[in-house]
Amino acid sequence: MSIVINLDVMMARRKISSGELAERIGLSPANLSILKTGKAKAIRFSTLEAICRALECQPGDILEFRS
Amino acid sequence: MWSDRSSVVLSQACVIAFAAILLLVMIFAPALVSWLLDFSRADLRGTEAYFFVTIYGGSMPAILLLYSLFGLLRGLAAEEVFRQKNVEHLRRISWSCFGGSVICLLSTFYYMPWLAVAVAAGFMGLIVRVLKNVVERAVALQDEVDCTV
Repeated sequence: MSIVINLDVMMARRKISSGELAERIGLSPANLSILKTGKAKAIRFSTLEAICRALECQPGDILEFRS
Repeated sequence: MWSDRSSVVLSQACVIAFAAILLLVMIFAPALVSWLLDFSRADLRGTEAYFFVTIYGGSMPAILLLYSLFGLLRGLAAEEVFRQKNVEHLRRISWSCFGGSVICLLSTFYYMPWLAVAVAAGFMGLIVRVLKNVVERAVALQDEVDCTV
């Protein structure tokens, strides 16, 4: 897929662990892992909003289009 | 109390009953063919070997069909409905029907009533194939839902 998830990068910048982020955004660790590894086929706006709020970033910081 | 679980169990029992009937037909095929020819078609004496080829040849796809049907029901009992494995089961069931249909169609050269079985099996195969396509699409949708976070 040409959409790349840069969640790892943002998590490293904010120095936040997967477990902590999962807890903050109300997502299961398994689902967060699906998102981090790029296996997700879709992301809900509510999830994206929660991630942006927790990491204090914009959607474009997490999602990237590569042709 | 009747439930979905009871329905699946009943279906499994029916599959086992059909498997038992198939086994009996395979064991007593010589007697059954002899009885058929004695009872109604004395003019077909000498074609017993053809009947055996049709019955035993047709039993192979029937065994595969019953096995796949049982596997499908086992999946349903385990609450695994829209799974790729079930699509494979349905595909095998469909091809088993088509296989049986072809065998019966080829057998019409010595006994025309096989045509009715061939048409019924072919039609059943077609229905199961359409069902397989529907379930295949449902599996893709389920997969997409599972991977939505």
